[in-house]
Amino acid sequence: MINQSLLNIVMLIEIFLLVLAVLLFFTHGLWLVATQKRFLRDMTDARDSLARLLTRGTINVEEIERLRRVPRDAQVAAFLEASRNLAGTGKERLRFIAHEVSLLDRARKLCESRRWTRRLRGARVLARMDVADPIVEKLLGDPHPAVRAQAAEWAAAQPSPTVIAAMLTMLADPATQARFAVQDAMLRMGSTIAEPLAAFLETHSGLPAESGLRVAEALSETRFLPAGLRHSASDNGGVRTAAANLLGAIGSAASAERLLELLKDSDAPVRAAAAHGLGRMNHWQAGSQLANSLRDSTWRVRREAAFALRAIGAPGALFLRRALKGDDAFAADMAQQILDLPAAASG
Amino acid sequence: MMPSFLGMTSQVVVDVQYVMLLYFLGVNGWYLVLLISSLLEMNRHMLLIADESRHLLLSSTLSPTISILAPAFNEEATIEGSLRAVLALQYPSLEVIVISDGSKDHTVQVLIDKFDLVPVKTIYERRIATKPVRALYRSSTYPALVVIDKENGGKADALNVGLSFARGELVCAMDADTLIEGDGLQRMVRPFLHETDVVATGGTIRVVNGSEVKFGRIIKTHVPTNALAGIQVVEYLRGFLFGRLGWNRLGGNIIISGAFGLFRRESVLNAGGYLHDTVGEDMELVLRLKRLSYERSGPGKIAFVPDPVAWTEVPESLKVLGRQRDRWHRGLADVLWRHRGMLFNPRYGVTGLFVFPYYAFVELLAPLIEAAGLIALAFGLITGIVDWKFAALFYLTAYGLGTAMTSFTLILEDLSFHRYETFRDRGLLFWFALLENLGYRQMTVYWRLRGLWKFLRGHKDWGAQERKGFRPLAAPTAGA
Repeated sequence: MINQSLLNIVMLIEIFLLVLAVLLFFTHGLWLVATQKRFLRDMTDARDSLARLLTRGTINVEEIERLRRVPRDAQVAAFLEASRNLAGTGKERLRFIAHEVSLLDRARKLCESRRWTRRLRGARVLARMDVADPIVEKLLGDPHPAVRAQAAEWAAAQPSPTVIAAMLTMLADPATQARFAVQDAMLRMGSTIAEPLAAFLETHSGLPAESGLRVAEALSETRFLPAGLRHSASDNGGVRTAAANLLGAIGSAASAERLLELLKDSDAPVRAAAAHGLGRMNHWQAGSQLANSLRDSTWRVRREAAFALRAIGAPGALFLRRALKGDDAFAADMAQQILDLPAAASG
Repeated sequence: MMPSFLGMTSQVVVDVQYVMLLYFLGVNGWYLVLLISSLLEMNRHMLLIADESRHLLLSSTLSPTISILAPAFNEEATIEGSLRAVLALQYPSLEVIVISDGSKDHTVQVLIDKFDLVPVKTIYERRIATKPVRALYRSSTYPALVVIDKENGGKADALNVGLSFARGELVCAMDADTLIEGDGLQRMVRPFLHETDVVATGGTIRVVNGSEVKFGRIIKTHVPTNALAGIQVVEYLRGFLFGRLGWNRLGGNIIISGAFGLFRRESVLNAGGYLHDTVGEDMELVLRLKRLSYERSGPGKIAFVPDPVAWTEVPESLKVLGRQRDRWHRGLADVLWRHRGMLFNPRYGVTGLFVFPYYAFVELLAPLIEAAGLIALAFGLITGIVDWKFAALFYLTAYGLGTAMTSFTLILEDLSFHRYETFRDRGLLFWFALLENLGYRQMTVYWRLRGLWKFLRGHKDWGAQERKGFRPLAAPTAGA
């Protein structure tokens, strides 16, 4: 039935595959043991050299030469490790040493590679070393989102006008990864970004505005008020929600007035954000409007309104108790749950 | 009359053997495709994560909040250790919700005593009907900890209660006896930050048996010397590193382990939460999320991420293992049956045309086909209808190729994460890869067939689970 030669072929193939697998598995194991040992030794050498170079007053040429001779993988690892714990003049010195051992030149070359994985590696080294280099700035417009995101991470420590302009453009990035990185980088920049972001929000709408409003909310500066008011009238529900959150975070009379209007918005998330914002501002004058929102058809809006009433203190509690006796069972239920909460519970 | 009957029988036996041969060739060929796919995917993944700075995520105010849902049923012996390990996870915005599903032992009391729990009230939206909640507690020492004591309703019910209470944008479903590695959540959250259409991500589950555990952390990884646990180490590696990783590139996964999965909370709530009357609630949810994404044209990407790791204890007794496999297969059958409309349905894209049929014809029906092949082979050999050469070819095609694929998975593990460092562990892994086909695999065929049979008869029980608990500090010993 079965040809002996067919059986032999199948058997030979399988034996070959198994032997190959065993050889690869154990040879790789041996290779790992050897390389890990070597790597640890090299790392120790690189760390020692770096420590000496960083702590001594003058740069020793022989030490630089010794560090240069350390294999690249260990060299890079040692520099990245040191970069995490250094700032200011320490980091500056580290950059100087990295330049001397050609680490930065190699990273720059990697940034120019046609392969995105290499550009990513190069950008990672330059970002960790806080190297102000136009080559990384160029990567803010890289075709690969991971590279753009890495460049945005670098940009957090390089708040030049051109970098900030490029970052603001990235708020409209189609890749979530890049958008997240740029928002995070902007928050790390702090108030430096506030002025350009406020100007950006004045002229942009849609997704970039929504992303920008999230950053503005975290920064909570009053200069974002005009942008918050403008975007609270946007056609886009997501933008209106972000604007309501921003207005709640800023907390001014104009914000409160607009948030009261937003309590009647057609989108539930906007109404919930408005109620939340009014509570955040402790705007007791909003009591009756918030009490009306207890009757909202959406659970989340009712919840936010109830918590807002709780936040504004005695007047809010009065409205909550009044809701207990009202004809709306949902409002009464929510009010009851809020009134039952222990004092420390934040919801 | 008689000779023609015999002739017909022998023809049937021979035909069955050839069909089996082709089937196994096809399955192993597909495994090869999966292996290549996972190699490519692993390479891409390793390049992406090399030197990445996850500490930025740790300090970012934009990181999404994760609510960990840990259902517990009679876990008084292990709950404290497991929970302390969860509370120590490195993630900036974390909420931990333990749901005692009507535990009959002192699970809740242990939690009250050890974590300074105080009864509180809270407001939550009951978007999914569940069994009543008896009490809710918050810890006065761990602000992130919430404990829910509810009436028994099964794991799915407990998870649904957790979903309602959770505040996080993302929820992580885990078993109370699973150990998640410290940076596991930081790693697993990445796809959610990178893509908007991701609704769920799963990490790798590894076997803790044989390894050293201290304070809920793996101190040293070892392959257990116990054959049953050791073979499962190989099985888990194959299942996660080449099974699920390979599918990432070939149309997406439809399985995320219930022991360690991260979901977008709103998507799960919109889908109706976990289903009660199935033993495969984790797979059912993922498949439902996938299905709804096609039907509603919404987000539905399921991503497997290989580097976040959770450790779980696997059974070391045939009885318990048999029950587990029987349950898993019943779950698979149930889930595929519930969503049978997706099979070869172009409306469901790659999932309907590729992934679903694979699970139906390879994963679900494999034990049936394998059993038929083995029985026909034994019958053929006894009656002389098939000769030893055919039997050898059958065995080599059915099991030999599979062993080769498994061996290459071990290489994939070694090339990427190499968690098993010693040559003793390597030797054991390879030995277990060979041993798997000599009895173990045939037993799993039996258990899975039993599962299929029980499914056909409508059994939906979970069966009792026995846990030995994680070994604290001792050196690795046989069977530990």
